[in-house]
Amino acid sequence: MNFDSYTLDSGTYDEMLLPDGSPRAHSQRLYETLLSLSPERLGSVQEGVARSFLHEGIFFTVYGDDEAQERVIPVDCVPRVLSAPEWASLDAGLSQRLRALNRFIDDVYNGAHAIADGVIPEDLVIGCPNYRPEMLGYSPPEGVWVAICGTDLLRTHEGFFVLEDNLRSPSGVSYMIATRNAVKAGLRRLYRASHVREVEHYGNLLQQTLRELGPGGKSDPTIALMTPGVYNAAFYEHMFLAQEIGAELVEGRDLLTRDGFVYMRTTSGLRRVDVIYRRVDDLFLDPFAFRPDSMLGVPGLLDACKRGNVTLVNSPGVGVADDKSVYPYVPDMIRYYLGEEPVLGNVETYLCRRPADLQYTLDNLDKLVVKRVGESGGYGMLIGPHATPQERDAYAEQLRANPADFVSQPVLTFSRAPCLVDGELEPRHVDLRPFVLQGRETRIVPGAFCRVALRRGSLVVNSSQGGGGKDVWVLEE
Amino acid sequence: MLARSAQGIYWMGRYLERTECLCRLMQIQTEALVDRPARDIYVGWRRLYGVLRRIPPGGILDIADSDDFTLADSYTLAGDLTFERSNPDSVWNCFAQGRENARQTRHCISVEMWQRLNLAYLRLRDMDIEDIWSLPEGFYLEMAAETDGVDGAAQATMYRDEGWSFLRLGGFIERAQFATALLLQQLAIDAESDGYAEEDWVSLLEASHALEVYNRRYGAAIHPQAALDLLVTDPLLPGSLGRSFNQISQELARLGTGPGTDSGRAAGRLTGRMLSLLQNEWPDSRERETLLRRVLDEASNLHFMISEAYFDYPLNVRAG
Repeated sequence: MNFDSYTLDSGTYDEMLLPDGSPRAHSQRLYETLLSLSPERLGSVQEGVARSFLHEGIFFTVYGDDEAQERVIPVDCVPRVLSAPEWASLDAGLSQRLRALNRFIDDVYNGAHAIADGVIPEDLVIGCPNYRPEMLGYSPPEGVWVAICGTDLLRTHEGFFVLEDNLRSPSGVSYMIATRNAVKAGLRRLYRASHVREVEHYGNLLQQTLRELGPGGKSDPTIALMTPGVYNAAFYEHMFLAQEIGAELVEGRDLLTRDGFVYMRTTSGLRRVDVIYRRVDDLFLDPFAFRPDSMLGVPGLLDACKRGNVTLVNSPGVGVADDKSVYPYVPDMIRYYLGEEPVLGNVETYLCRRPADLQYTLDNLDKLVVKRVGESGGYGMLIGPHATPQERDAYAEQLRANPADFVSQPVLTFSRAPCLVDGELEPRHVDLRPFVLQGRETRIVPGAFCRVALRRGSLVVNSSQGGGGKDVWVLEE
Repeated sequence: MLARSAQGIYWMGRYLERTECLCRLMQIQTEALVDRPARDIYVGWRRLYGVLRRIPPGGILDIADSDDFTLADSYTLAGDLTFERSNPDSVWNCFAQGRENARQTRHCISVEMWQRLNLAYLRLRDMDIEDIWSLPEGFYLEMAAETDGVDGAAQATMYRDEGWSFLRLGGFIERAQFATALLLQQLAIDAESDGYAEEDWVSLLEASHALEVYNRRYGAAIHPQAALDLLVTDPLLPGSLGRSFNQISQELARLGTGPGTDSGRAAGRLTGRMLSLLQNEWPDSRERETLLRRVLDEASNLHFMISEAYFDYPLNVRAG
């Protein structure tokens, strides 16, 4: 292989190469290996990775106009390498952030001191679509509202920035492990020589975390993973995680409540469930408490949770903290609750609910990314520089009509990493989603799912919109 | 084990067994296209459609006037029974349903089972009758081998917990129902023609993996009553009814009565009655067709009893 068609851009951080085209120290071994491999050999590694996903049946579901389609997520075989010091900094920043977010959520539903102290505007919290007044006064075991978090990070020349805190049902951890297994099988000699830190023990850490969150400190809780069902886009991940943690994979119809306790229907009768790792959205969890038309939920589940008879992980109501309007206040939360300076920065964000920010956004629509606060997965987003004038005009209309529904951010030219594209190594934009667990202590596996914008020049990394994946190798000290 | 997972594994067992049974019959049926007379081919199709209780495309099955028509009809019928997406009992649908049940319960089965099933499904997924028609018997042989391979993977790798028992329960109930329906079809064909055609029984024994055993025990001449005895009662023959009910009985004993206690007990008693019928009533009976009809009905009842005992039991059971 060679880097002949690999163009460096001085404004964009490259994960492998320095501006002069030489490899970064921690990528040296990978760089040399790539140079030594023939295009056919690397191509066969790529094919092996794709085949592995196909054979394992690792699909995600895309919902189009006609019907749902099972697709294999495209995975690039060239790993992204992070050095030990880089990871140490991320580890500290992610841990700090989750501690602060947990404190914030607990505060929102128990006293709202941060609001009283002017750290965050009340209307922003109360008006957030994911604020759940039903949770007022609730205290989860160990004070942990968010036990599982997947934080989206971007890197520029200035360092790592948090783009989003995914606190409700962060997905992708199964892809992280599957990608690792497939890539290391294809690049086994390089992998062995590189001293990469393992990620396979994620399931053990998750199980340990969930076991620590049993109601009333119950030492050996029965754990279940609750999925919306086989048609959910992330069903493979739900199944994978249930297998990893040795839990039953339940749907709402498998559960019932009786006298404030939750039971699942087994072949031996009804069995009490203590901890539910739920991958069902808040509003569908319990038709008595939330949407009465929900067919996915369990009547009485929230009551059982609030009585302290079952722990829901993550707790209902945590979405108040990963709302796009609340996001700009996270650095202040860290200062307020922890008395520390944030290790990881935020991307500068304009809240269109503020008249000045709205005006700025409208005036600079061709330079900004505008997002709907209630959307995720890359949907409902305008990337100003890539949009046509007509698209920007149409979006501006929506902005003026409902400014509180939008935030805007400068277009970050986030980092790129080499990918194998049509037999050549070409740079593609990448983000990073590490997974953080919070039980009695914080646990982070040294790795992440790296999402790749596979289309040339694209900044959209979402798998539902042409994105793919990449393995992340965190090197030992 | 979660009741819905157990039910998924049970259905996986049923669908894969049905795939295997269908493929064996289709293999023999398409081999017959090479050299058998039109009458034998017609009987084969009739038996297949009769077992599945399905109306063939075009309504009725007639012996074609020429070989060309026989082959053309057979192409249509094979397509209907193998790849027709709207036919719930086509090989394609049975296998896809088996794989779908495995997909939903793959945290309860072994990796090896899932991979074998998934790989075979990926090969089958986009196929159609044109793709196999140059050598159809080869395709059916391969598909039967695929399901045998999944079974082998299960034997070698699956943890012997309740899931294993439900997989086997599903498989043996399907096998018993399919085999009984097949025997009844053959008896009906014999009754209509006021006699029997040796070839029909040879192909039936072949489809039941019993021809070699039959030849060893009874010689080359075909005696339908002897063939029936073998297929119904022989405890060593994998596809015999006696062996199937014996295995069902063992798995039910392993599982206990389940939370739907009444149905669980009833299932155990019914299996016992079936075993007694096959061992004690069958040998001297002159009403063998009537007995087989009873077996077919009771196998169907057994399915519902198992569902009520373990999967869809009333919720007034005591919580544990």
